[in-house]
Amino acid sequence: MKRAMILVAMAFLGLVVAQGRTVNLLWSGAVTGPTSDVGGPYGAGVEDYCRYANEQKLIPNFTLNCTVRDDQYQNPNTQRIFEEALDRAKPAIYLGYSTGAMLQLKPLINEVKMPTIPASAHIGLIDPPNNQYMFLPVSSYSEQVVALMEYINRTTKNARIALVINPSPFGRAVVDHARRAAQRLGQTIVDVREVGSGNLDNTALLRALDAAGAQFIIHQNVAGPVANILKDAQRLGLNRKIRQMGAVYTGGSDLIRLAGDAAEGFLWASSYYTLDENAPGINLQKQLAQKYNRSADILNSTNYTAGMLAAAIAVEAMKRAAQRFNGRIDNETVYQALIGMNGPNAFKPGFAVSTKAGIEIDFTRSEQTGAEGLRVLEARGGKFVPVTEPFTSTLFRQVRNP
Amino acid sequence: MVDFVQNLISGVAVGCIYALAGLGFVLIYKSSRVINFANGQFIAIGAFVAYALAVWGKLPVLLAALLAMLLTAGLGFLLERVFLRRLVGQPIISVIMVTIGLASVLDGLMYLTPFGSGNFTFPQFLPQGGLSLGGINVSYPQLLAIGFTAVFLVLFSWFFQRSVLGVSMRAVADDQMAAMSVGVSVQRVFALAWAVAGLTAAAAGIVVGAVSGLNQDGLIAIGLAVFPAVILGGLDSVPGAVVGGIIIGVLQSFSTAYLDGLFSQIGLVGGGSQYVMPFVVLLVMLWFKPHGLFGTEEIERV
Amino acid sequence: MRNPWAQTGNYRTSYVQDTTIFANYREIVSVVLLLVALCVLPMFLERSQVLVLNFILIYAIAVLGLNITTGYAGLISVGQAAFMGVGAYTVALSAPSLPFWLTIPLGGFTAAIIGLIVGIPSLRVKHLYLALATLAFQEIFVWVVGRSPALAQGAAIPVEMRNFLGLEIGFRNHNYFWYYVILFVLVLMVIAWRNLLRGKYGRALIAVRDNDRAADAMGMDPGRTKLMAFALGAFYGGVAGGLLAYMQRAVVVEEFTLSRSVALLAMAIVGGLGTVVGSLLGPAFIEFLRLYVERLSEWMKSNAFIQSITPAGVDVASALLPLSFGLVIVLFLIFEPRGLYNWWRLLRSYFRTWPFRY
Repeated sequence: MKRAMILVAMAFLGLVVAQGRTVNLLWSGAVTGPTSDVGGPYGAGVEDYCRYANEQKLIPNFTLNCTVRDDQYQNPNTQRIFEEALDRAKPAIYLGYSTGAMLQLKPLINEVKMPTIPASAHIGLIDPPNNQYMFLPVSSYSEQVVALMEYINRTTKNARIALVINPSPFGRAVVDHARRAAQRLGQTIVDVREVGSGNLDNTALLRALDAAGAQFIIHQNVAGPVANILKDAQRLGLNRKIRQMGAVYTGGSDLIRLAGDAAEGFLWASSYYTLDENAPGINLQKQLAQKYNRSADILNSTNYTAGMLAAAIAVEAMKRAAQRFNGRIDNETVYQALIGMNGPNAFKPGFAVSTKAGIEIDFTRSEQTGAEGLRVLEARGGKFVPVTEPFTSTLFRQVRNP
Repeated sequence: MVDFVQNLISGVAVGCIYALAGLGFVLIYKSSRVINFANGQFIAIGAFVAYALAVWGKLPVLLAALLAMLLTAGLGFLLERVFLRRLVGQPIISVIMVTIGLASVLDGLMYLTPFGSGNFTFPQFLPQGGLSLGGINVSYPQLLAIGFTAVFLVLFSWFFQRSVLGVSMRAVADDQMAAMSVGVSVQRVFALAWAVAGLTAAAAGIVVGAVSGLNQDGLIAIGLAVFPAVILGGLDSVPGAVVGGIIIGVLQSFSTAYLDGLFSQIGLVGGGSQYVMPFVVLLVMLWFKPHGLFGTEEIERV
Repeated sequence: MRNPWAQTGNYRTSYVQDTTIFANYREIVSVVLLLVALCVLPMFLERSQVLVLNFILIYAIAVLGLNITTGYAGLISVGQAAFMGVGAYTVALSAPSLPFWLTIPLGGFTAAIIGLIVGIPSLRVKHLYLALATLAFQEIFVWVVGRSPALAQGAAIPVEMRNFLGLEIGFRNHNYFWYYVILFVLVLMVIAWRNLLRGKYGRALIAVRDNDRAADAMGMDPGRTKLMAFALGAFYGGVAGGLLAYMQRAVVVEEFTLSRSVALLAMAIVGGLGTVVGSLLGPAFIEFLRLYVERLSEWMKSNAFIQSITPAGVDVASALLPLSFGLVIVLFLIFEPRGLYNWWRLLRSYFRTWPFRY
């Protein structure tokens, strides 16, 4: 009660002075524990963009109060951190993290009408029910995989494809859509195999996939297991015979570092610009990493870019909410600002590629995916270089809901 | 046929890593009846220390590996001295629980270093590729695993048959009271068992580093795979650990090759049977032959 | 006994007296007071604080079960979280067609049946090997759930209950409603626990734990006794899992992994094995430890001075939790193997005998 009174008093004072008001943003993810190789840089990205937003006063008259918390990939922690924030800080927007926790919190998020930008791009998050307040910053894992299948179809008709996925809801997200897309394209999914970290030897796996006639392997995984498979494929001489590729969390600098020259030729579907490109978001990323003393590993990580993009969308939505609703920034107005982020009002921070229409991030009430453009990149000489123009998978939209 | 032999050999190579990690585990159990749940952390620390010495300390890889093994052995020794020694005479559940607690402490210590998250690659010290013979391929890191295990097995059998310490360890394992009464220092034997456990676990970690990338989660997961191996071989048998490790390695390889398809036919989709089969074998072993292939049956006299 | 209220110790002289639930009237009064306190407690708490309490009480139920298997029967179980999972998935599958007061016991019974199967090796082998049987079950459970399309392959299965006897349950009262349900179940489970173990069966368990050959010679069947202990422990786990499913509004397999099992075992040990008070104190202690360590980490992260003295790449804040969790287990086992229960006992006897020392 006391706290509530203080808040009311503060809000009142804020109205009078119209200055020095604070607005809250919450991120909770795995800085330690499983998947911390993604969560660490992601959280750093959120943190750094928030600092930058405050220094630049990106939301006029408001101080942004970013809470970045480590839930160690444990859902009870995530749930507690989120509910604690609902009780106390009352964030205007929530940046989420893991697939499991987000799927679990979905009903609650919908009930409290909290606009949420998860790090996980599981399509189930923006599929009904309870999906109204979920916004994916970039295209879903399923779309990335279907886009890769379309890319295969450009050169190889009736391809035989194997899926190698992470043994978790994160990995399994793509299987159904891949099967449906294969049917449309006349491709065959020869096998689906789950492989997690600590895969010391993949000989049996690769030989089995080879025996099944797989020409391509599409990975939906994290970089570690993929790197081991690439190295074994090279050793067994299967790297020429079977082309490997993967969705957003498989690739990037981590894969190159782990797999060395075995990564050559690996295809990677990603919506983000790479560090070698001259894009406003990437330049900002370099500048902030230097300013806030981030290590080279963090700077080079796509997940750092991803965290910044999520924070950038959140900050922009808050700023627009303040403009449109007369200085009122809360979950409702931020939601309105988010679904108004389209057409001429689309958001262009320059972290992700734009579609043909020149739109980088846009949302509507029914279209809850931000960056719909994605590119296929190829590892060449220790770097990922784009081999396609940004495109949007039309097929995915047909197979999303059968 | 080629496939079969290839899968067999790859499985043996992975199994040798389990065997290495299992050797020290068995030694601890043999001398003090303690199940060490911190084995995976030993593996991880051994690998990371070797990485740190080689990459940051700029030492030659082999020297770094040797030092890392010795340092991890020292860690095992230290843990026994500081924590486990105080629990002599306590119920065995307390001692096991202490190893679980220590596992968590060691995890925390790793988080204090950059190794707590992310992936690391060992500097390359073996030539790339491997030996190929008639379509069968063995990589050099895999040969290293097999070689390491062979060396350790020979060393261990010499140690237990010939050296005074080894003989006193066997005496303690046989009958603690009797060993004490003839003047064997049980404490020294316990400390030694933990030191050797650290040593072999580090060796396993270093081999993992040579085979694949280093990642804390992955390394600790290998510690878990050791349990089925040692139960299969018999918790208190050194050759059993090696045989059990190799069988589990081959089982995993064969599961991926031949079982994944069967599982999807009974409605368990997605394959990955290599992760579960060792534990199924563990459970079946406990049902039918709980003391393993080479373990000594407990015969109790009232 | 002239004045039962002034009773200062244990005056039990017969078996019947020894199996009474409460030793003296003071205990009855203190239990009633505790219950009243627990009932009014949520009125002073925020929603999210009640959430923390809910987790503690659910873990307390699971730990009670663990205290039958591990505390009384001496069988180390690192699979209690998997039994919780069995209960939770039973609830998830039956919730659309059955009311919650049926699904939760159903979850318990399913877990108990599975517990019987997992416990089979206990007919042949002793404690240590059984720990590995439960480890195997834990791993097999997570694997099978992940591969079963009927269980959403481990992704969230929503478990929603929006209405109870006309009472609308939503964001505002969800945690409070389930707090009282969980508290009610916990009280039932504690009563059952006490009744079960104060009599013949509890004594048989202790006998089997301490010396199964002697127990056998005295006409108890050690195998059956241990199997029963397994089933009972699993039943408690299943009920806890069922409550967790409702409380979290969805079932996700990540809740039921090995690390949760280990945490439950740690709670049992820190609380004090084989005691009701310990089953409550252990979860509370571990959860509050987590909460305060987290707070300390937040503070360290925001403190400029601490940030300036820690070298780059070192994340002290994140390391604190596993470090403290592990150290608490180790230190308790070395210095206070009887757990928090013993502190509670000492504290009570201090007040009971005050102003004398004993």
